[in-house]
Amino acid sequence: MMTCNCVDAHVPPLFGVQTIFAAQHTSESCGANGLPLTPNSITILGRAQKLKTLSHPNLVSHLDFIRKQHGRIILVSQYFNRNLWTESLNCSILLPIEKVLSWAYRVLNALTYLNDNGLVHRFLTPQYILLDDEDNVKLFNYGLYYMTNSGKNISFPIGKLKYTAPEVLVLDKTSYKSGPKTDSWSLGIIVLELLLGVQLWPTLKLSQIIRKILSLTHCTDVVMRLAREMGRLTLYQSLPNELKDFLSKCICLDISKRMRPKELCDHKIFSLYEYSTILTNKYYSCKHPLLQMKLDQVYYLWKLAGGDVEWALKKKGLLRNESSILLLPRLIILEGTLYGTTRNQSCLLDLQIVELSLDLLISRLQHLKITDYDPLIDEVKERNDTTEKLPLVIREKDTEYQFHRIVLFDRLLSTYPFKRNNLLIEASKDIPPYFRGEIWACLLNICNNTEHTYLSIDKETAGVTDRQIEVDIPRCHQYNDLLSSSVAHTKLKRVLKAWLVSHPKYVYWQGLDSLCAPFVYLNFCKEHIAYACLTEFVKKYLNDVFLRDNSEVIREYLIKLSHLIAFHDPELANHLDDKGFIPDLFAIPWFLTMFSHVFPLHKIFHLWDKLLLGDSSYPLFVGLSILTQLRSTLLNSGFNECILLFSDLPEVDIEKCVLESSKFYDATPRSITFRKHELRTETREHDPCLIYEVLQNEFSPRISIYDLQELKRNSKKFLVLDTRAQGYYIEKSLPGSLNIPIKEEDFLDENFDLPPSPELSALVNNRGSVLIIIDNVFELNKVRKFCRFLVKKKFPKVCSLHGGIEAFETFNILVPAIMF
Amino acid sequence: MNGMNDYGKKHQETFRYTFSTLNIPETYKIEVPIDIPFEGCINELSHRIINGLNLPLYVIEELHDELEKFIDKCSVDFYDRQTVDAIDCIKNETIEIEDIVKYWEKAFKDETFSFADNKGPSNNQLFATTFHKLAHSGPSLDAILHIEYGYAQAVQDIMNRKSRQVLTVTTAQTKEMNYAMDGLNNYSTEDDINALALKHFDDQTLIQGKWNSRLDTLKQEQRAGYREWVMKTVEEMQGVDGLYSPIGNSPIGTVKNGFIISNMSLYDMEESFTIHLGSQMKSTHNIRIMSADTLNLLKLTLDENGTVVHHPQRLQTVLELYSQDLKGLVLFIDTNNLDFYSGLGKEFFDICEGSTEFHFNSLQDQLEIIKLDLKVAVENRKSKGPVSNFLSPELQARRNKSKLLQCGDVYITKHSNLASVHLVFHMVIDDSLKSGDINSRHPVILGLRNILKAACSYDITMITIPLFLTHEMTEDMTVPWCQKRAELVLKCVKGFMIESVSLGGSELKTIQFLVPQGISEEVFGILATMVPTIFRVSTPLVFNSSEPEIKSKVKNKKSTKNKRNSTSK
Repeated sequence: MMTCNCVDAHVPPLFGVQTIFAAQHTSESCGANGLPLTPNSITILGRAQKLKTLSHPNLVSHLDFIRKQHGRIILVSQYFNRNLWTESLNCSILLPIEKVLSWAYRVLNALTYLNDNGLVHRFLTPQYILLDDEDNVKLFNYGLYYMTNSGKNISFPIGKLKYTAPEVLVLDKTSYKSGPKTDSWSLGIIVLELLLGVQLWPTLKLSQIIRKILSLTHCTDVVMRLAREMGRLTLYQSLPNELKDFLSKCICLDISKRMRPKELCDHKIFSLYEYSTILTNKYYSCKHPLLQMKLDQVYYLWKLAGGDVEWALKKKGLLRNESSILLLPRLIILEGTLYGTTRNQSCLLDLQIVELSLDLLISRLQHLKITDYDPLIDEVKERNDTTEKLPLVIREKDTEYQFHRIVLFDRLLSTYPFKRNNLLIEASKDIPPYFRGEIWACLLNICNNTEHTYLSIDKETAGVTDRQIEVDIPRCHQYNDLLSSSVAHTKLKRVLKAWLVSHPKYVYWQGLDSLCAPFVYLNFCKEHIAYACLTEFVKKYLNDVFLRDNSEVIREYLIKLSHLIAFHDPELANHLDDKGFIPDLFAIPWFLTMFSHVFPLHKIFHLWDKLLLGDSSYPLFVGLSILTQLRSTLLNSGFNECILLFSDLPEVDIEKCVLESSKFYDATPRSITFRKHELRTETREHDPCLIYEVLQNEFSPRISIYDLQELKRNSKKFLVLDTRAQGYYIEKSLPGSLNIPIKEEDFLDENFDLPPSPELSALVNNRGSVLIIIDNVFELNKVRKFCRFLVKKKFPKVCSLHGGIEAFETFNILVPAIMF
Repeated sequence: MNGMNDYGKKHQETFRYTFSTLNIPETYKIEVPIDIPFEGCINELSHRIINGLNLPLYVIEELHDELEKFIDKCSVDFYDRQTVDAIDCIKNETIEIEDIVKYWEKAFKDETFSFADNKGPSNNQLFATTFHKLAHSGPSLDAILHIEYGYAQAVQDIMNRKSRQVLTVTTAQTKEMNYAMDGLNNYSTEDDINALALKHFDDQTLIQGKWNSRLDTLKQEQRAGYREWVMKTVEEMQGVDGLYSPIGNSPIGTVKNGFIISNMSLYDMEESFTIHLGSQMKSTHNIRIMSADTLNLLKLTLDENGTVVHHPQRLQTVLELYSQDLKGLVLFIDTNNLDFYSGLGKEFFDICEGSTEFHFNSLQDQLEIIKLDLKVAVENRKSKGPVSNFLSPELQARRNKSKLLQCGDVYITKHSNLASVHLVFHMVIDDSLKSGDINSRHPVILGLRNILKAACSYDITMITIPLFLTHEMTEDMTVPWCQKRAELVLKCVKGFMIESVSLGGSELKTIQFLVPQGISEEVFGILATMVPTIFRVSTPLVFNSSEPEIKSKVKNKKSTKNKRNSTSK
């Protein structure tokens, strides 16, 4: 289609807002699990998510569902202000049959799509059949019946009476679910009104309409009867026979003869009239480039630019709040029933649609060039923007910045895995919240065949841990509206079960639910992605942690944290060691759930944004930086205070934590955090692959010879201390190493200290460099004690060389030493 | 829509599928029961069938297609059957047509704006909006308080005059009666005395009646005048910016030019805590524990060393009357017939009647309406009605038989003329409360739960609860008793607060626990230290790790200890 883009073009409102109220639960009601019932508004919110995934040319898209206090729900969706009601001048003019049929056909297409996805519309009226700028039919309000679980979660009736099929009047009353054929009836009535150019029962009162509909069951030719009531019998009779047949297949009491929308699409009337040739209104004028972006992206930016749906509703008087004191009940009996409440008039259903003006967003973006909407990926990084230096929380709220990020990532993600490296670089700056789910999946290397794998896993058959999962899920991040809905509970359970079934060697450990929650939240309608993310995540960061006997893995994790503390913060390490406050007492949930049990979702997001870019050792650094934030408190606390402090962790500044952890990460050689149980492709000869019993005895970590060489190569500050007797040192040693001969017996004396020597001053002067202790490989105890001694003296970055002096043998770099 | 018991009408169909393999000529038959309407994923189901029944994987496509067809057909049949039944119902009138008409008419009229009978705000709401506007527009608040004060004075005047006259008459009557008694059988007879007594009684009634009717008239005039003034002032305000006509002196009340707002503390002792609830996402609340006289929280004016002063919180209370921040108080009542003839109830009643209620019905009228509600409640209770999961069957049975309010029932009165609260929860209690070993299932505790739930549904963000579930100290209340009771109440309230967070209503920002006046400092100290052990007191965010160290314990306790004696000030 021909369009030209122009940043000055006018942008009409694209979104409409409506608000409804969920039904309140009757006073004292508990669920089967003994927990209080989930509020209906939350149930609706959970169900509504599915609507966001629906996409059809003849359906408007749903953009947002917002839950507010006291059961209010705000619905945001695409909206156009033209509809069949306005087009037909309130059903008062005769329209060409072709036009009506082309509309009807498209409505039927949309209905078929809905039916295939398990939905029925149930609220068809000419007002809810919208027309876009190109005269395309866009069905509106089709989600209300579905999201309210066939009207069970609300107290108002769904549908407009005169378009309602007679059986609905009976079935709805007893809360039976309506089938697809009810929509056929409604559409039939609408088409009849449009064809005859007159409204049905325009002046009748509510009760009269109900009676009329019920009385239709007694007549043989319903359409004829309706046409007569509309006073257009002759016009009706002059209609082509096929059309009459079509109507009688819609408005029909014999349900076996009434067709479903799917069957109506194939009705011969549509092949008779070349509905497709009807010219749609092509739109040739200038278009704003914003309109090319995805609708939910525009909505996201609109919100960032200060768009406020509540304010829009308030301005139209749809968010009226009555004073609570006037609504109060007068009597609450012990059983929980309220008496004497006043009905809140502002709770009544008012489905008025308020259009959201995009002016604010447009003016925020007005100085952008057209190329900004369509950048070349390689050019993007040239932008130098002061926003990039602002704190993350501010960047996330900055309209323009997020606009550029969204445009950029949209590109990168669509070419993935082609531009994976660019994606990684950009993601390390920050991850735009809009794309977080997708970017995370890319960072975890998820391929696109996960859906099939996920489908073939049996998530239904009962398993041994079902009971525990069912107990845990209603306690997992329940402050979040979405995750507390029953739909989310089902999804969490399915993903967890799928993971358990596909990983038979692992078991369910409490905490797996928390670990799963962020993925389910971000990929709410893509369970398979959530599942794949969980799988990869566990593999990468929590390899073997979910074994039935995971004590060894966990203990290794914890001792590594201790080593890391000793490496970076000797003072804190000494203090914690003094008090006997070991990581086993606080850090197990940290690592078992990768902090997802400790922090609320919004903090986990920022934490994991960084975590996913790091390797499997990264969690240790996060743990370290949390401790660093609590450092001053910890240093002043005894054992009991420490326990209390961690039983209810104080607020942690997550951005600072993220920054610091990446600083620590950069300042730490890889082998310091080497874990035997992490997943890696190969274990090299000199990697410090040690059993727990050895690790446990050491206070400081070991460094591998590879890292030593790496330090040398990158000319990082480090100092090698050779503790062998001088003779050996002179004979053969590492160039540049210092010789401080130590005997193991030295440490028997508690007050042992190093005698003053040039070597000692060199050591003191190099405080802050990586200190690598070398001795013969069999002098394990001596090295261990010397390390502990140095840490006690508050030397940071103390480590010992794994494999001792002997490790150098294959490298051929040892030379005779020249003494000072 | 309403038929909760009719949820999820499903039914099962059996899916049959046959297939043959190449090497075995026989056909295999499988049967799978499927719920109709089917809500799962057909793809997933076919995989499950293949895996579960060990079918060869190559049949999956065929199986999938068959399943799809089968489910499609069954669904059509299912809905068709349902529809046929429904239409037959209408045709054969097996269902009452009028019921359907009424049901739908009611549904539309009660629930949708376009069909509702009375659209738009009620008269009360209109007045509420107007008043709210007025109170929040600068100088008018001052005017409101002046008028209230002046009007209250007028009411007080009449009440004083009434009691003076009653006193005079009583003295005269006593004298007369004494004289008559003295002369019994001398210059007066028993009949005389009886006649005299009767006359005295009549006189008393007459005077009472006269004054009461004057009082009623005054209150009515005041109320009407006040409301008219509010409406008029706001009307004028909209015309000219910020201009309002001050209300002049009139027989219904004089407007004085100033009043003193008390600056004394209402509490003998108080300690506040900022606490956190929730493990991951933390919500912040304030807990205050204080010792004070319950009625002092309600009285508009206080007597401070002989001068009448205004209650310090009155201003706030006026501002918040129609807001989304209401304040409530729990008052325990040991009578169950909705009458305030004695004790604390009587005193409360007198405070309420001591000035004109401009916004709501008078307390007496509110109680009359509640009596009608009670009748409905009793009827409901009799006809099985709602049952609580927490009550023992015996207690439930006893409750169902009773015609009166029972322990744990709560009624609510609204007030615009109390100093620091907008509404009072009156909870009925009985003697069982005095015992030392009540548990979390005691009706009063459950009643508290109902109160907190209601608070969340109706924007009551601050609530005051007597910590010992009583308003006065008695001799039975030993230190261990106090500790035990406080622990129970604090723990239960904590649980209810956590529960109410998930309800999606308003947030309970502040909970005040009231202990009776006259509690010893020592016991108060014990109670205050109890709060941080039960609630998680918030630890302040430390911004700079290098800042001078303050013992965390000191920092944790963000408490203000005001130990002042209200009488000594």
